[in-house]
Amino acid sequence: MAELLFIAVALLLGMSAIAGAIGVTLLGGKFLEGAARQPELVPMLRSQFFIVVGLVDAIPMIGVGMALYMLFAG
Amino acid sequence: MTSQYERRIESVGLAKKKGLNKFNQRFAKLYIIVLLLQLLICSLLALLMMFKDFVTAYSVLFGGMIYLLPMCWFVFRLWMNRNLDNPQKILANVYISKAGKMALGVVLFVVVFLKVEPLDPLALFITYIFLQITSWYLQLKLNERFLKL
Repeated sequence: MAELLFIAVALLLGMSAIAGAIGVTLLGGKFLEGAARQPELVPMLRSQFFIVVGLVDAIPMIGVGMALYMLFAG
Repeated sequence: MTSQYERRIESVGLAKKKGLNKFNQRFAKLYIIVLLLQLLICSLLALLMMFKDFVTAYSVLFGGMIYLLPMCWFVFRLWMNRNLDNPQKILANVYISKAGKMALGVVLFVVVFLKVEPLDPLALFITYIFLQITSWYLQLKLNERFLKL
C-alpha cells in the first residue's frame, strides 16, 4: 500500500511540474515573440505577462499541496 | 505628424515616455488591491470559522498564508526589478521569481503538514483553492485592459 502511495505522490508532483512548466514556457515564449515583433509595446506586454504568469500555476500548486498532504499527513 | 507606432501606442492607452511608469503604477495597484482583498477574505473566513471550531479556524488561516506568502514574494521580486526593459532579462526575472514562489509554497505546505497538529486539511485546501479562484476572478475584473486586447 505504501508503494502505491509513493507512486501516486510522484505522479501528482511530476504532472504538476510538467503542467506548470508547459504553461510558463508557452507564456514566456509568446511574450518574447510579441516583444520581438513590437518592441514599442514591451511595457504593456510586460504588465499583462506579469499578471497572467501569476495565475498559471494555480492548479499545479493545488496538486502539489495534495501530494504533500498524502505524503506527510495522510 | 505622428508615426504609425506612436498612433498604435496611443490607441492602447500608452503615452510614449510615460508608458513604463504608468504600467508600473497600474501593476502595483492591481496586485496590492488583489492581495489585500484576499487577506481580508482569508481573515474573515478564519473569524467565521472561530464560531465553529478553533482547529478549522487556524487551518483556514494557514491555507490563506500558504497562498499569500509566496504570492507576496513573487510580487515583491517583480516590483524590485520593475525597471528592466530588456525582454530577456524580464523573462529571466519572472522565471526566477516563479521558481522561488513554487519552492516557498512547497516548503510552507511541508512545514504546516509536519509541524501543525491537529489540522483540518479540508479547510486548508478549500481556503487555498478559494483564494486561487478569487485571484483569477479579481485579476480579470480589475484589469479591464484584458478586454481591450
